[in-house]
Amino acid sequence: MPDQEKEKPAAAAPPTETTAVAPAPPVTAKTAAVTEEASSQYFFGEPLVGFDPSEITGSLIVIEGMDGSGRSTQIALLQEWLESEGFAVQTSGLRRSNLVGRDIDELLAKNAATRLTLALMYATDFFDQVEHRILPALRSGTIVLADRFIFTLIARGVVRGINRDYMSGLYAMALRPHLTFWLNVRPETAFGREFKKAQAISYWEAGRDMSLSHDLYWSFIRYQTMIKREFEVMAKKYNFLELDGEASVPAVNKQLRQRISEQLGIRATKYTPSAALAHLWR
Amino acid sequence: MVEGTDGSGKSTQLYLLKRWLEIGGYRLHFTEWNSSPLVKSATRRGKQRRLLTPTTFSLLHAADFADRCERQIMPLLQGDYLVLADRYIYTAFARDAARGCPARWLRNLYRFAPIPDITFYFRAPLDVAVHRILSGRPKLKYYEAGMDLGMSYDRAESFRLFQARILEGYDKMVDTDNFVVLDGTLPVNKLQKQMRDIVASKIDLKRFAPHAPESE
Repeated sequence: MPDQEKEKPAAAAPPTETTAVAPAPPVTAKTAAVTEEASSQYFFGEPLVGFDPSEITGSLIVIEGMDGSGRSTQIALLQEWLESEGFAVQTSGLRRSNLVGRDIDELLAKNAATRLTLALMYATDFFDQVEHRILPALRSGTIVLADRFIFTLIARGVVRGINRDYMSGLYAMALRPHLTFWLNVRPETAFGREFKKAQAISYWEAGRDMSLSHDLYWSFIRYQTMIKREFEVMAKKYNFLELDGEASVPAVNKQLRQRISEQLGIRATKYTPSAALAHLWR
Repeated sequence: MVEGTDGSGKSTQLYLLKRWLEIGGYRLHFTEWNSSPLVKSATRRGKQRRLLTPTTFSLLHAADFADRCERQIMPLLQGDYLVLADRYIYTAFARDAARGCPARWLRNLYRFAPIPDITFYFRAPLDVAVHRILSGRPKLKYYEAGMDLGMSYDRAESFRLFQARILEGYDKMVDTDNFVVLDGTLPVNKLQKQMRDIVASKIDLKRFAPHAPESE
């Protein structure tokens, strides 16, 4: 199989929706002849080496949004809801790969890596999870709930000055999610929520490596605003379903369930969390 | 910068070139493929547990290179150092493509790498290179032999098939990436002479000479 992949003309360019987003289309885009429908349905660009997309029977549902946007809360609730509906659910998130998850934690703790190295370690982490966790799950008909995806990673790289085309090219072989939700909140709201959680704001959440401000609050606001702008840039290109992350947990959850029900072809049912998750329901 | 398949003699030659420049007192830095301490433990773990796929294998090596590039190669080039690299991005282009990674993706992955002033490509016929490695090494490692590609259960045979693909990949880049092709089967000292002549003619070595004392 690797052989066949190799023979494919390098011109199998990603179906880049040429919005005003991409500054300059890659040179090779000119030669982009017929894009392979089969693979573009599953991947943003090039197909992943040695993978047959026809085997996917599950659904990949991505929740994106900044720290404090309510992603993790919603994912916990969605998992319970889907399981109560009889679906097998698997979650994924950044730095959870067996291959380099812990190495990244260490690099972050020591602040030892430069931006490009870190970006590539995150990419390694991402693809390891795709290949060892997400794809096997999708092949067995499982619903994968992804707590963040390539979009956060692209945004983080771009705000640190890494070329936008470079970042999206890096993730050309990423799976195309069935649904991508963006929980959009104001950085000010996110700050309050995050601070309440830990009574502190972490170095990385505040983008302290970017020397934006010595004041933690302003550093956080400026950094998250930059990230948010990148999300706005990507929203159209990648078909984000934008939700108001300032709304109450039940209200956001209802919208998520409605859209996911549609996707899965089931009737949107009522849901109230079990006692174990009741504290999230506010 | 030297490239070539395993057993092509490139490391020996680069070592000799480095000695020549060191003895001449030039400012230089030597860097090796896959040597960054930051990424090393991850690579080792991935190899031991055989977690690596063509994509993650490629990305980890890119992370390693990025680390050396951002922390050593780029700053040293700015500071007028000669940088000698044992293997460079072309190793990834040849080897990862042999594993099936899309060429275009790979080219993008390494877009941040500075283009070398000279790229020496030590070309040795497959049989010669394979023989050098097989006779000198007790056992080939799993990924080294390309066992992950499932081409053969026999490590030596797998290695041979893998190296053949890599060689093909290198050959394709000779023109597109301006390789200076050297014959890897020549005697060591002859090859070294060629290499030194080429370096002396293409590089203004005076720039890298020790700063002369202010006055006599």
